[in-house]
Amino acid sequence: MDDRMLHEYRRDPDPRFARDLRERLRRLEGRRPLAARGVVRLAALAAGVALVAALFTIPSVRVSAQSFLELFRVRRFAAVPFNESRFETLRSLEQGKDHGLLVLDKEETVLDPGPMRYVPSRQAASPEAGFAVSTPSYLPEGLVADSVFVQGAGAMRLSVSEAKLRAVLQRLDLNDVQVPAGLDGRWIEVKKPPVVFQKFRSPRSRRAMLVQARSPEVSVPAGWDVERLAEIGLRVLGLDTGEARRIARSTDWRSTLLVPVPMNASTFRQVTVHGQSGLLITTSTRGQDGIRREGTMLMWTEGERVFCLQGNLSGHDLMQMAESVS
Amino acid sequence: MANGDATVARLWLWAQRARSTEWDLVFSEQLPRVYNFFRYRVGPGAVAEDLTSLTFEKAWVARERYDRDRAGFGTWIFAVARNVAIDHFRSARPTVSLEEAAELPGGPTPEEIAGKRSDEARLASLLARRPDRERELLALKYGAEYTNRDIARMTGLSESNVGTILHRAVQALRADWDEGA
Repeated sequence: MDDRMLHEYRRDPDPRFARDLRERLRRLEGRRPLAARGVVRLAALAAGVALVAALFTIPSVRVSAQSFLELFRVRRFAAVPFNESRFETLRSLEQGKDHGLLVLDKEETVLDPGPMRYVPSRQAASPEAGFAVSTPSYLPEGLVADSVFVQGAGAMRLSVSEAKLRAVLQRLDLNDVQVPAGLDGRWIEVKKPPVVFQKFRSPRSRRAMLVQARSPEVSVPAGWDVERLAEIGLRVLGLDTGEARRIARSTDWRSTLLVPVPMNASTFRQVTVHGQSGLLITTSTRGQDGIRREGTMLMWTEGERVFCLQGNLSGHDLMQMAESVS
Repeated sequence: MANGDATVARLWLWAQRARSTEWDLVFSEQLPRVYNFFRYRVGPGAVAEDLTSLTFEKAWVARERYDRDRAGFGTWIFAVARNVAIDHFRSARPTVSLEEAAELPGGPTPEEIAGKRSDEARLASLLARRPDRERELLALKYGAEYTNRDIARMTGLSESNVGTILHRAVQALRADWDEGA
């Protein structure tokens, strides 16, 4: 009997037990008061930034074969630093009674992606993902493949309220920002293809996860001034007028997804993975328990696919893993 | 990882309901840890699953408090899990399962037991004999895979004390194992 045997006593929970528990928790969510659900609706990190900064500052623009829409897809990543105090402000605005949904008028789920589901192998995930799931051939010492999860395709549509956007800008003292007309009542459609999550872990608490999917698509009504909206989104994130304008104008929207990165807890740099431009972000934050934790995330694209590799490994280890993904 | 999880949300945020995905990730990350904490704490089987469910149900309803600190949620859910375990042992009747009964004096000899049981069952049986504090620390260390430092913060013990208790516990388990207990 040794240390190894003690570690190997661990077992994954029965998948049926895991699924049933997740479903039970989902039902608990459904019973929560509407007010509480509203509070958390957009509270995941970028709160209100989600729509102005994320949707508008996001991805690559390319004219669709369809005549009246423009499709946004991810081809490369770039970081845009923002001050977390702005996030706190947006969060408080989102929770205020007058700013439910922050700048959204409506939000509708067209296709519910459902919960993440355990699958026995990456091979088993491939048919559900619609592509041959890639995996790293190199794993840092001690790390082993742990489990694979798939989340199904999803789709939603949302509309922006000009009045709400103006109110938010006013509350942020962004009085010089003009809201373009023609936003009201127009739908933004978001399609998320299936996503595959591969988890890796070591007995010594090292963790990594590779996320891969085809690029999501965001369709916006034709005629929208994306550059102008991106500039507004960057101002909402806290960038000053000049910087927001410079980034909005210099960014190649046909190929770039801007990733908001908190400037006081992160470092980031552009890297190359498989000859493609990638973004390596390292964060260090102190949790409510007082413990400081570091995390690293690497994002890159290959063809139609986007990859995100993240964990509590060094940037060097993550890069080596990423280079071995095939 | 938890902090990384938060960052992942930034990537997918614009494409779907990030909150839902992010909490799915937290769930899939924490479920094996909580389940294994109870597996080491109370043994394998339905009880470990029941206590895992109870822990998640208690913790999940208030999880929005941790929207920006998934790591904090991980620590918190283990505070809930430890309390659930304490309540379980307080309310448990002093009964002996059939499996445990086989370990009582007058049962099969150690050789017979060893011949019939898998190593896993033997280990479960030996874990069940450890004092409560040792077993909790073993569950946090090997089940939940926390470091000694994390365990020290969670339990209020010093890191060196945690290391000492765990060392003694493993030594005792090894001795019991070698004796064929």
